[in-house]
Amino acid sequence: MAGVWINQILQGILLGGLYTMFATGLSLSAGVMRFVNIAHGDFIVLACFLLLILTTSLGLNPIVATLVILPVAFAVGFGLQRFLLQRVVGENVLLVILVTFGLSIIIENGLLEGFGADPQKVAGGWMETATIGLGGGINMGLFQVVTFVAAVAVVAALDLVLYRTGIGAKIRAVSDDVAAADLIGLSSVRIYAVAMGISFVTIGIAAGFMSIWTDFDPASGPTRLLIAFEVIVLGGLGSMWGSLMGGIVLGVAQSVGAQFDIAWQMLAGHLVFLIVLAVRPQGLFPKY
Amino acid sequence: MTAPTLTLNALRAAFAVALVVLAVAPFVFGATEIVLLTEFMSMLVLAIMWNLLAGYADIVTVGQHAFVGVGAYAFFGFAALANLDPYLSIPLAGIVAFVIAVPAMALVFRLRTAYLAIGTWVVAEVLMLGAGKLEAFGGGSGTSLPISIVLSFGHARDDRLAAIYWLAFALAAIALAAAYFLLRSRIGIGLTAMRDNEEGAAAVGVNITRARILCFLGAAPFLGMAGAIITLQKLRIAPPASFSITDWTVFIIFNVVIGGIGSFEGPIIGTVVYFVLRQYLGELGTWNLILLGTFSIGIILVEKRGLWGLCRRFLADDLIPIAHKPAAPKT
Amino acid sequence: MATNELLSVEGVSVFYDKFRALDRIDINVGAGEIVSIIGANGAGKSTLLKAIIGQAGRVEGRIQFEGENILGRATADIVAAGMMLVPEGRRLFPSLTVEENLRLGWAVGRKGEFGFAELWRLFPALEERKRQKAGSLSGGQQQMVALGRALLANPKLLLCDEISLGLAPLVVNELYALIPRVKERGIGILIVEQDIERSLAVADRFYCLLEGRVSLAGHPREATREMVMKHYFGL
Repeated sequence: MAGVWINQILQGILLGGLYTMFATGLSLSAGVMRFVNIAHGDFIVLACFLLLILTTSLGLNPIVATLVILPVAFAVGFGLQRFLLQRVVGENVLLVILVTFGLSIIIENGLLEGFGADPQKVAGGWMETATIGLGGGINMGLFQVVTFVAAVAVVAALDLVLYRTGIGAKIRAVSDDVAAADLIGLSSVRIYAVAMGISFVTIGIAAGFMSIWTDFDPASGPTRLLIAFEVIVLGGLGSMWGSLMGGIVLGVAQSVGAQFDIAWQMLAGHLVFLIVLAVRPQGLFPKY
Repeated sequence: MTAPTLTLNALRAAFAVALVVLAVAPFVFGATEIVLLTEFMSMLVLAIMWNLLAGYADIVTVGQHAFVGVGAYAFFGFAALANLDPYLSIPLAGIVAFVIAVPAMALVFRLRTAYLAIGTWVVAEVLMLGAGKLEAFGGGSGTSLPISIVLSFGHARDDRLAAIYWLAFALAAIALAAAYFLLRSRIGIGLTAMRDNEEGAAAVGVNITRARILCFLGAAPFLGMAGAIITLQKLRIAPPASFSITDWTVFIIFNVVIGGIGSFEGPIIGTVVYFVLRQYLGELGTWNLILLGTFSIGIILVEKRGLWGLCRRFLADDLIPIAHKPAAPKT
Repeated sequence: MATNELLSVEGVSVFYDKFRALDRIDINVGAGEIVSIIGANGAGKSTLLKAIIGQAGRVEGRIQFEGENILGRATADIVAAGMMLVPEGRRLFPSLTVEENLRLGWAVGRKGEFGFAELWRLFPALEERKRQKAGSLSGGQQQMVALGRALLANPKLLLCDEISLGLAPLVVNELYALIPRVKERGIGILIVEQDIERSLAVADRFYCLLEGRVSLAGHPREATREMVMKHYFGL
């Protein structure tokens, strides 16, 4: 019996890897620009559909397809921030929330119009089916393990970019004080756009793993947004490694909840989030 | 009298006439129109409340469908399960929404701005998923309102529709009046000052935290009662329908943004525009939402105060003046 | 007017909505020259610097840097062309380390001969603290970082906005002792300061602003205290 629970916790931790990927980009954009892109989840789903087209119509390998969309994702994020969001950023957070909310609805219904409501999935081939046995009846899917490792790598890479590179210092500077950055010739408009571009690269990566891991349909976006949001609040706002911890906590909560009753999966995750919010609003692993 | 003032007076007259006509609508219109107008009134209540929260109290909620759903379920509980008087069940549903709003507020107020927005969404998800676990309420698939309850609002169809309409009309009228008096009170002035200028509120001397709490808790019973009335129209409860984010939050946000967020007239104009569009464009389904989404983003880029903001460029004053002060002195 | 003129501001007005913050200002600064702008609170001194660096609202008139128009150009371009501001209130990025703050100056700047070696020579106290968060420094040290950040941009023209503000007199002395050393490098310096005596003592020329206009201009030695006071307060 204990084996079942250990297995659920293990699967939850691995699921946490995927959730961390949903969250890193949101954490970056929210941390730097002080607004939450409500369409974050819908952009993940949009990227999943893009991958679906690339893998089915063009017959690309999913890994190649993901690599192909990364530069596209950067460009979309950069352009979105530079040409749309920048026009409403700064004066009032309300407007950014409303614009990204509008985008979310447009994407969701655009996908519905284009692809219908049926669940879709990208075929991962042998990667999907291979498992690693740990004995005692506990098996880990190879793909799930790879996803987790990739999530750790994404967090490490973002942390490195933010804290060890010139552009990272610029991003943190703008996050500290936009007006001061502009005064000394650090163009916040440009840095915001780059930060959003990077955020969208993580969206592309997350989509690469999600599109193989689970079914998705045009209405899958909001759930991904809520997960990403819960992960960054759980982990402590603005902390990249905290996101990994937040992802694991949420993944384990859902996985253990599902063991009681499959219908409890989402609810268990939300409840853990609300409980943490009630008792530790600064998150489980605050940065400072 | 100048031309803008004339136009303004004409608009005010039209508004007054519309109010009178709406008050006696069941004597004037047929069943189809009454059904539509009832729906209009409940949407208007939701729009007024969302505008109050997002446009004045700095609480951009994306989870207002939570309280509509709670109201629907509470109404069903009181009227169908506890067999209380259906009329009484409506205000009781409002009270339940209020009671649920207290812990919800305590949680989401720990978050700020955009985080708060998504926090309200999570709360709504939890309530919807929770509602699906209530076996007495039909579980995940929901259940229909017993026919006896429907009949208690009138045995003849027209009487019933009229009764439900007047309930919706009364709720909308009270909501409008409540918003009007709130915004004209010191609290409203403080909230407006805060919205327009961070330091402004302190100067007015209003406790902003308390004002925001008041707005959040004050909106909940209206949303709950609207949920009860919506249930009387839809005749059933079900988690995804009663807690519909699309119907009770997405459309509402678009309506208010298009009409003019942060103005008293905005939600009214937005809801009218929405119903007119829906009548003329028909049920476009997904395209409806795509168009509304694009339209509202366009509105935000052109005039963040929406259609009423555009009108105000040509009008001397608001339709329903809320501000006491003439024009803010330039510093 | 010298042939080595760096900055020329001609008939510049700045508007915030309908309010005119600056009214047809003419000033110029030469290479290796220290020019002081004095004036009471609200006279438009900081607005002038913001207009020059490209951060003011609506600006009319002509602003030329090394003979080229810079009005309407992005701040990043102006900085890269060789002008840098030490903003009022220092405006460091508190969560970045001292070194990171300084490096930003290099990143936005003109990439010249003034590098970290020179910087540490000028501010030895900062080298020991380079790994510290800028927010943890004292006010004087923060001002040194702000000045150092500006110098690392290798400006031809340095704009200093109220660098003595909120600092102890001894610290201000130290900072002002550095100004002539900057000038020796051939850098033009435009100083905005409320402390009249301090800024006139170091300046080659000065302008006095009153209600958005130049009320007096000249050489500090030729201006009597009474004249300055009269044009400072407009009495």
